[in-house]
Amino acid sequence: MKAKHVRPGEYGAVFKYVLLLPAVLWVVAFTFVPLIFVIHYSLANYVLGLGITDYVGLENYADVLASDRFWHSIMVTAAYVAISVPIEVVLGFTAAWLVNLGAPWSYGFRTVIGTPLFTMEVAIGYLGVTLFSSQGGLVPAVLGLAGVHVPWLSTAWGGIAAAILLDIWRWTSFVFVIVLAGLAGISSDLYDAAILDARNHWQVMWRLGVPLAWPVTTIAILLRTVECLKVFAIPYALTTGGPGTSTEVFSAMDYLTTVQFFNFGQGSAMGVIFLVMVAALLTVFFKQMRKRLA
Amino acid sequence: MGNVEKLEALIQGYLKGKIGRRDFVVGGLQLGLSLAVLTRLTAPARAANLMDSAPEAPYESPITQERVAFLKTKPFKGTTINVMVLKTTVGDGLKYHVPHWEEETGGKVNVAEVPIETLHQQIFSDLASGLGRYDAYMTGAWFYGDFFVPKTPYIVEIDKFQADPRHPYWDPDQWLPAMRKLYEWNGKLYGVLFDGDAQALYYRKDIFTDSKNQEKFKDKYGYSLPAPPKTMKELQDAAAFFTGWDWASDGGEGWGLALHAKVNEQGFFHFLSLSAPYVISPDNKYYFFNPQDMKPLINSEGHLRALEDYLKLANAGPREEISWTLGQGWNLFLAGRSAMEPTWGDLPTLAQDPKTSKVKGKMGAAGMPGTTEAFNPITGQWKKYELNQVGNTNGGSWHCVISRNSKKQEATYDFLAFMANKKNAFFNSTNGWTGVQPGMKFEYLPPVGTASLDEFKAQNWDADDAMEYLKGYYSVLSAPVQQEYLRIPGTAEYWHELDVNISAVLGGQMQPKAALDATAAAWEKITQRYGREKQKVLYQASFA
Repeated sequence: MKAKHVRPGEYGAVFKYVLLLPAVLWVVAFTFVPLIFVIHYSLANYVLGLGITDYVGLENYADVLASDRFWHSIMVTAAYVAISVPIEVVLGFTAAWLVNLGAPWSYGFRTVIGTPLFTMEVAIGYLGVTLFSSQGGLVPAVLGLAGVHVPWLSTAWGGIAAAILLDIWRWTSFVFVIVLAGLAGISSDLYDAAILDARNHWQVMWRLGVPLAWPVTTIAILLRTVECLKVFAIPYALTTGGPGTSTEVFSAMDYLTTVQFFNFGQGSAMGVIFLVMVAALLTVFFKQMRKRLA
Repeated sequence: MGNVEKLEALIQGYLKGKIGRRDFVVGGLQLGLSLAVLTRLTAPARAANLMDSAPEAPYESPITQERVAFLKTKPFKGTTINVMVLKTTVGDGLKYHVPHWEEETGGKVNVAEVPIETLHQQIFSDLASGLGRYDAYMTGAWFYGDFFVPKTPYIVEIDKFQADPRHPYWDPDQWLPAMRKLYEWNGKLYGVLFDGDAQALYYRKDIFTDSKNQEKFKDKYGYSLPAPPKTMKELQDAAAFFTGWDWASDGGEGWGLALHAKVNEQGFFHFLSLSAPYVISPDNKYYFFNPQDMKPLINSEGHLRALEDYLKLANAGPREEISWTLGQGWNLFLAGRSAMEPTWGDLPTLAQDPKTSKVKGKMGAAGMPGTTEAFNPITGQWKKYELNQVGNTNGGSWHCVISRNSKKQEATYDFLAFMANKKNAFFNSTNGWTGVQPGMKFEYLPPVGTASLDEFKAQNWDADDAMEYLKGYYSVLSAPVQQEYLRIPGTAEYWHELDVNISAVLGGQMQPKAALDATAAAWEKITQRYGREKQKVLYQASFA
């Protein structure tokens, strides 16, 4: 049978659009349409049981930008990201490097370190309440044996520290998995050559592993940063934002405003402002990444 | 025959069983009587028709003859109702009765438990979306305003069900007046009896009456240790006195006063109750807003002094209590480590369980201490009083309401009324793990009510504890000057703003004045969003 020759533009052009259509529909339905709704609500006054009662222009935006509580939640979120992500990257990278060396315990370690990744964040948060509670919590009890008394959940820094510790436990394995895949892609010849020249394995890691695994590590940093900016379940389940609002991250504040109290107007304005901030941050991040990789 | 005679004949016919409830109600309506009035009229009629018990209803007492006949048909066989409850003791209390009702009626109850921090959102998401996944919701009394924002309220009146003798018998006239208001809206009944919250002061009677402690206290403060403290000054002194030493002589550290002050829980109720006598008085009943313009009163001089004093009281407990939930706060008292705790009636009931309590038989209870000077935020004046003590109904008074979207309202009501039946209601209020407190007269001892000490002893109560508790609790609910209970739309949000700012003060994040000013500013925004005029009308109506 003779195959039919398809000329460019005959079916191909249509077909590629057909293939793209599901993805486009997905993005339109679940990104652009909700975004349009969010912007619409952000310009309105919404009351539970009545719906939109009035259009208020940019008043919701002005209220959010003038709110100390909003800026405080941004600062708490920024601090949370700035502390937890670097620690997770360093620990995840180091663990991946050690496992990639082929140590005898590495298979078991892979399983163990991956476990938290399959645990629900909200469950980890509630587990944290038990772990850090001043009434019989494991962590205060163990530290108490050494005479150390930390007010974990009753101070701002204690609450944030406890949440970050749980976050690190949860997410280090994510960085580990990604970096391990990157390291596995590096030719063993390069390792063999580097080991001959280097003084020890740490020097090999620093001089060879880090630069060669940098592109994939960057992806891990990017994903963790984006995910961490949305952090909610662990700190909220642990402290519900308190004492006061001292440990309230942005997502918790937006959740309370929008979902708990049905203030869709102000909650939507908050979401749009945060979206712009994160988009700006990621634009800078991508530019830097392109420069490094160029 | 005139209307009066017709009505008399109607009532006699109904009492003697010559006509049914439906004919009675229809006849009454034709005579121009409202359903509410007819409900009242049927109550004595039903009471006359009551039996102590029946084999068909082992879990109900008293019971009507119609109910017995109704149960013989297994009326709700094949019917499943869905109820959303608070995931805490009150939720457990409701769940306890589910198998009993299922056994009697053939129906089935699915219970979904929701933590307090998401309860409001879950209830109103279900209602506003029209999904109607739940037939009933366990609500805090402060959610009521939100139920009545739409033209057709989100929840249904229960008068028509309550008047039907086929459903479990309970008598709304048994409610203490302060409590009944929380189950009604505009004089109509929407909630079915369950919980009756108020905050009282609980203290260690044995420690307060100990002669050595009394001597020490007098040496330090120059007056006798008050058992119980009657003024805020006495409360502060007693709290400070018992803080930081081993008054229990068991080698542990003692504290003066325990709080459960975790933010986004129910810690702010402490402040509401303890601050009331600084603002509420025989000369002023407004605590939250000025009823003329809905401007917040929360940052008045009286509220500020109350918050400064509250901070002193918080220093008489462990630093960690600002992150404690209810159970954790109660644990300190139950473990014998705190001399006092201002809280709900769960505490004395939980104290009766020797497995978790070291204080059974040592409980004292009293109304919240008062002040000798109160600020009237409407006139802006302080005024002196001999003793200004204020009662309250602070708390959730958790109970169920029926969704307007429910297709099984009758079965749902039947289940809720089952738990309101005297036998079950009394069980609830005398067992701490149910989280239910007494709001009905029959749960109190004479002369207030009809309960007997033996009934409490049968539920493992120490007799002295029971008497102390009921006396103290009743004094709060029946105090002539009562703190208002906010029930306008957005109350959850108003209270949240107060809650986070009070917590910020306890955590050292804010100064009292700044915290109250921030609360007032946030309340203004909320009022504007809901509409000042609408809020004003509802706020004023709540005092009618």
